[in-house]
Amino acid sequence: MSLLELKHIYKIYGDLHALDNVNLKVEKGEWLAIMGPSGSGKSTMMNIIGCMDKPSKGEVILDGVDIAKENAKSLTTIRRDKIGLIFQQFHLVNYLTAIENVMLAQYYHSIPDEKEALEALDRVGLKDRARHLPSQLSGGEQQRVCVARALINHPEIILADEPTGNLDDKNEEIVVELFRKLHEDGTTLIVVTHDPEVAEVAQRMVVLRSGKISRETVNEHFTGHIRFDN
Amino acid sequence: MKTRKMFFRMITASLMRRRSRMIVALLAIAIGATILSGLITIYNDVPRQMGAQFRNYGANMILTPTEESFTKADFDEALSRIPDADLVGATPYRYETVRIHEQPIMAAGTDMESAKKTSPYWLVEGEWPASGSIMVGAGVAESLELKIGDTETVTYTIERGDGSEPEERTLDLTISGTLSTGGSEENYVYVPMEDLEQLTGTADRIDLAELSVSQTADQLNSSMEAINDGPEKVTASLVKRVTASETTVLTKLQALVLLVTIVVLALTMIYVATTMTAVVTERRKEIGLRKAIGASDLSIVREFMGEGMLLGGIGGLLGSFVGFAFAQFVSRNVFSSSISFRPLLVPVTILVSIAITAIACLIPIRSATSVDPALVLKGE
Amino acid sequence: MFIRMIGGTLFRQWKKMLMIAFTIALGASLATAMLSVVLDVGDKVNQELKTYGANITVVPKQASVLNDLYDVEGGGSAGAYLKEEELGKIKTIFWAFNIVDYAPFINANATLDDGSDVTVVGSWFNHHMSLPTGEELDAGITSLRSWWEIKDGHWLDEQNGEDGNACMVGSALAETRQLAQGDTIHVKGSAADADFTVVGVFEAGGEEDNQIFTSLDAAQALDDLDGCIDSIEVSALTTPDNELAVKAAKDPKSLTISQYETWYCTAYVSSICFQIQEVITYSVASPVRQVADSEGAILEKTQLLMLLITLLSLIGAALGICNLVTASVMERSSEIGLMKAIGAYNGSVTGLVITEIMITAVFGGIAGFAAGFGFAQIIGRSVFGSAITMRPMVIPIVAVLVAIVTLIGCIPAIRMLLRLEPAEVLHGR
Repeated sequence: MSLLELKHIYKIYGDLHALDNVNLKVEKGEWLAIMGPSGSGKSTMMNIIGCMDKPSKGEVILDGVDIAKENAKSLTTIRRDKIGLIFQQFHLVNYLTAIENVMLAQYYHSIPDEKEALEALDRVGLKDRARHLPSQLSGGEQQRVCVARALINHPEIILADEPTGNLDDKNEEIVVELFRKLHEDGTTLIVVTHDPEVAEVAQRMVVLRSGKISRETVNEHFTGHIRFDN
Repeated sequence: MKTRKMFFRMITASLMRRRSRMIVALLAIAIGATILSGLITIYNDVPRQMGAQFRNYGANMILTPTEESFTKADFDEALSRIPDADLVGATPYRYETVRIHEQPIMAAGTDMESAKKTSPYWLVEGEWPASGSIMVGAGVAESLELKIGDTETVTYTIERGDGSEPEERTLDLTISGTLSTGGSEENYVYVPMEDLEQLTGTADRIDLAELSVSQTADQLNSSMEAINDGPEKVTASLVKRVTASETTVLTKLQALVLLVTIVVLALTMIYVATTMTAVVTERRKEIGLRKAIGASDLSIVREFMGEGMLLGGIGGLLGSFVGFAFAQFVSRNVFSSSISFRPLLVPVTILVSIAITAIACLIPIRSATSVDPALVLKGE
Repeated sequence: MFIRMIGGTLFRQWKKMLMIAFTIALGASLATAMLSVVLDVGDKVNQELKTYGANITVVPKQASVLNDLYDVEGGGSAGAYLKEEELGKIKTIFWAFNIVDYAPFINANATLDDGSDVTVVGSWFNHHMSLPTGEELDAGITSLRSWWEIKDGHWLDEQNGEDGNACMVGSALAETRQLAQGDTIHVKGSAADADFTVVGVFEAGGEEDNQIFTSLDAAQALDDLDGCIDSIEVSALTTPDNELAVKAAKDPKSLTISQYETWYCTAYVSSICFQIQEVITYSVASPVRQVADSEGAILEKTQLLMLLITLLSLIGAALGICNLVTASVMERSSEIGLMKAIGAYNGSVTGLVITEIMITAVFGGIAGFAAGFGFAQIIGRSVFGSAITMRPMVIPIVAVLVAIVTLIGCIPAIRMLLRLEPAEVLHGR
């Protein structure tokens, strides 16, 4: 059974079909990239998978549960337990230190454990910056804190929305490298992006256009390492 | 345990690291709490303080003899029926007709120190008389052309009812001052009680006593009854003009301060609520983020309310002391007396501050938690 | 474009602007209400204190010194009287408007049927006067002796035909003579006899309890003293004495011309007394210290108390406005960072922010002023039963206060905005 399965998903705002009969299966441990231009429905799809929105029609089966039928409260619970979110704008609580931001996720999930949080920061290479506030960290470092926060509760899926959109090449490489490590550890990754370089690293890539999946490609030469064209 | 520790760690982090915003909120709450505790302290104290001012009108109770006159013992006995703290002043008077420049004049013998308290409105030019001196009413001074510093011979005639020669007694007294009141007192002369006793040769006689009692109308009535029911040979009666008017005016003044307090408090509390609402509304994005990483609505409400209520508590504590300082300042400047600190007002102020902050925070937090986290994180 | 941008902020960010306007309105209403009340509280409390009765007595010149002394001797009056025909002049003095009440008195010594002496006092009860100024006034002891307790019957009502031989008797007298409403009492004066009908019995708690009060004419007739009065009691609204008033009270001639004018044109009790003496011939008007002094003290304390409460409210309102303006301008840092990024000068950004806030402040201030006026009226109506007079000076005070406070509120925010690095803001820091 697939970890995540979208069956005939529609999301309709008035006349606009943001998602129009989308079908998608994601296997456990898979690294999937979702690409598409602005307005293609990427964000809507990401919100639905991230349990932050519900489809107008269709089924979203996550780990055997149809989340389209759940209420807001249990969606929160599912999101908390199964999904780790990474955003383009980082979204760290700006008055909490790096480690506290990581602990925040633990706090909502179960019990905050400073040691475990520090280990997570170590995994993203920020152990020595644990006591810094977001404003004292660079963009890349902030995004790495977000990665640490996303993986701290061992989620089924890490869902990243334009994780490299605000980063320079160097930091982009670092973040993708982190994804590769996560993938090696068996984490399911869904990365929404419009950066082909980031998308091409993934095992599989789907392209959305006007709310429909227009193309799906499997990366034959999957290594998990980013390849620069130049 | 660890969860609670994290809870406090987050709240303190929010308070310490978002300092400028927190100062905005804290300032608002502290202003509110200051006004709350300050005005309530003043309101509590106004009846007492204003009541004391009304004692400027002088005596509000008169003791008259049941028979011809009463004694010092009767007087003291009657006074013992009124709590010491309420008694502003009690002045015994003895009236005798004496002659100065062969003109008959009413002389009042009294205790000058008490008279100052029961008749604070007396305007004395020169000095109040000590032993051996006399104070003359402005009217007497003008008609008899008496001047301050003159020494006059005061004559008293003892008429014995047995037909024997009246005995004339005299005493030389120095005029220490003149008295203006705009009333009949201007036509009397005032001498210390012991001098009048020396002149007349009889002691321990009181014709009338004026009492200035700082009590409400009801308390006054019961004091009056207590004296009248007592065994001493005095009748107490209230000076209607003073007591009735005092009740009218004091009630109005109290109502004024109460209403002003209510209006100011209502407006201030709305202001505190507005500011707290603004401060929380600003953090919609953060609320969205917390929801996105898995916070339940309940835990968000709990954290933000915890933060707000902690602020409310600190602001309330701060305000209750600043407010007391303000009330003390007002009391010192307006009434030249100090206010005793009411410890009960501190927890009340803190609780009210917490309650208002909590209510003010609840509305924006509720509306923020009902918003889709995705929308909050994407837009705006 | 500037106007368009401001319009954009005001209309599209109306929620935030409404919040600022609301806070400014709160502050302005607080300031308006408190200032209106504090400026009027003196007059209002002064009116209330009138329940203590007259604060000025007017007596004939000679009598002012000798009257009581002759009483002591048991003889008649000194024979000096004020003229009844001059009574109306009291309402023509410079401070006529401050004279709220007055009543003349004439004492006639009469005997009752059983030969005992009784004092018959003639006075006004609720004497109606239509003044040349158009003012209507009911003057007399009904209001000047408000503390009298009516034991039986009612106050003598002059305006309701109860003139001539109607009378009110003191409770002590009524008790010893067994008098009640409707009874007739025969008194014999030095010149004439009269039959008085009792319309009311009062308890005054003083010597009046043994007296008979009737109309001026009836009392005058007893002793054949037509047109004569013994004394006048005047109740006037006064300003608490200061040094100048004390100096003037001793001798108005000791003042310089400008001091004299200040004194004469201020409603000190001494200047009102002086003016009464000017219009009533051979009279001495003197303040009743018991009332005048206490009035002054209470008035002063009340005003000071209210002033300090007002001050606290104003400080609160000012801090409140400052606080929220600062907070709300700071909130817009990203928008302003953007403006700077696309080339706005510091000056134009500052101008824009200040103009927006000021426009908001004008609306908030006007709304607050109206609300504050309403609050003041609520206070006035419910405490004193009369409207609070709106002083025009409240308007500029509140306007200046709101303007200054709003500007001060902008300062820290603007300083912060000017320090903003556009890049920093746009990258979310």
